[in-house]
Amino acid sequence: MERANAGDRHRIIARIDADLIHLVPGYIENRRKDVLAILGALGRGDMECVWIIGHSMKGSGGGYGFHTVSEVGAALEQAAEVSDGDAVTAALARLQDYLARVEVVCEPE
Amino acid sequence: MPSNVESMQLDKYRVLVVDDDRDMVTLLCTWLAEAGFYVDSAPSGADALQRIDITRPNLVVTDLVMRDMDGMTLLTEIHRNNPLMPVIMLSGQAQVRDAVKAMHLGISEFLIKPLERAELLDQICKTLRIASGAETTQGSGFGKGLIYRSPKMAEVIDQARLVADTDITIFINGSTGTGKEVLAKAIHEASPRRDKPFIGVNCAAIPEQLLESELFGHEKGSFTGAATRHEGLFQAGNGGTLFLDEVGDMPLGLQVKLLRVLQDFEVRPIGSTRSVAVNVRIISATNNNLEEAVKEGRFREDLYYRLHVVPLYLPALAERREDIRVLLDYFLERLAKRQRLKAKRFAPEALEYLTAAPWPGNVRQLINVVELCATLTKGDIIPLGMAQKALRDQPAELKSLRDAKHAFERNYLLSVLRITSGQVASAARIAGRNRTEFYKLLKQHRIDPAEFRKGSVEEPGDVEEESTSDDASDETSEGAN
Repeated sequence: MERANAGDRHRIIARIDADLIHLVPGYIENRRKDVLAILGALGRGDMECVWIIGHSMKGSGGGYGFHTVSEVGAALEQAAEVSDGDAVTAALARLQDYLARVEVVCEPE
Repeated sequence: MPSNVESMQLDKYRVLVVDDDRDMVTLLCTWLAEAGFYVDSAPSGADALQRIDITRPNLVVTDLVMRDMDGMTLLTEIHRNNPLMPVIMLSGQAQVRDAVKAMHLGISEFLIKPLERAELLDQICKTLRIASGAETTQGSGFGKGLIYRSPKMAEVIDQARLVADTDITIFINGSTGTGKEVLAKAIHEASPRRDKPFIGVNCAAIPEQLLESELFGHEKGSFTGAATRHEGLFQAGNGGTLFLDEVGDMPLGLQVKLLRVLQDFEVRPIGSTRSVAVNVRIISATNNNLEEAVKEGRFREDLYYRLHVVPLYLPALAERREDIRVLLDYFLERLAKRQRLKAKRFAPEALEYLTAAPWPGNVRQLINVVELCATLTKGDIIPLGMAQKALRDQPAELKSLRDAKHAFERNYLLSVLRITSGQVASAARIAGRNRTEFYKLLKQHRIDPAEFRKGSVEEPGDVEEESTSDDASDETSEGAN
């Protein structure tokens, strides 16, 4: 589960299963790379690349406990399907914001 | 944890995860390894096909959308060589048409991403339980020798189970080697007659006069060679079940006599003036079209209706291909246990070949093929070439002339020995042979006449040595067993 901390608008808490916690740094890092890749794809007008990245994010995010990543992935997928650059940019901004604010809490087994 | 997961020992299963998204592969592998599975992964369909050849997973989990080879193509390729390998497909898009197409291609399950861990584990376990035969019915209560998982067989077994506990006359129709006698025995074992004899007789393998004596018995001196009284199978099986195999081949003269037994519940042995009451349940079987035989006048209509009270149809193996894999596994295991060796396995391509084979000789042919393959294969895995050779060498439906003659001769010898209660001199006289020749025949067929002097109606066991002297008395041959 994820939620923004009421006392601190800059923090979003993501509760991650204990056996996945060691995977989190790599997963977050890969999403930062996705941001760069999407920016590059937008510059080239390569909506297929955006769709693939969004599709992957949608599939994996929720499984790790990052449900917002799945939501952003779905938004990117939809935006790419109709070649809506503005929607891609908006989704990308949401992802960047999320990656900046998310904090992970280990969910005991 | 879901019930499917809790009740399984997961560490004996190997699961291959296929996805070109590295984060997804990592996530799924972690979930599965944490649950206890052996996990392997492949970043593409092509890699997956290679891994399958090497690691032989029990199940594949693959993504639908992948760059080089999509999940549908991978599924088709997997099933080309491993037709029964379970594949679970994941998709980020809930497209009904994809799910329908995947189901048509033989997918085990179609799951939508993002996934819940519990849902995935539950579906994997459920799929493995079905694939590994845990949901195969193998005679827990009814019919221990019946191995199947097909709905067609399940239906027949259900019908048989329903009537087993009664005295209703049952008629089994099925091709050669489908297991008619196995089913008949299962019915007997589930009936109140289970502690009494189950006697099977092949009506096509015995000449008419011998069959008459075999079934109904004879009095001493009632015909040439009838040196002793023979009670016949109806009396020997009193209280039990008589299985009349190939009843469609019974001569018309005997059909009348059988009909009388079924109507009056008494038999009159050849040469006797007295009828004897018998209480025998009749299960009959044929691989012929008996209705046609009735129309052509080869089989009595009244007898047909007497026998045909509850008809059961045993489907050919080609009509229930989903049973082939479990039968192959079962007979490989059974052979390994008998030989106290590790069970061998068929290579995927051999399995595919055998699953698609026509199997004219049905389960009997399959058993022969399994035994031939397991015996001749040196390694643990039986390759395609061996399966092909074994199937070529086991045409099964048509015996060679030599084998057919051998089988007939053996049945004939068993019959005359039963009729003469193991008296070799009398048996030889009926057979029109001198005793030396007759003993030679018995030795060739490894038959011990002494077994017939004990009142046993069952087929005798093998004998290691036998006297062949013309002068050998019945007593000396008895000592040879």
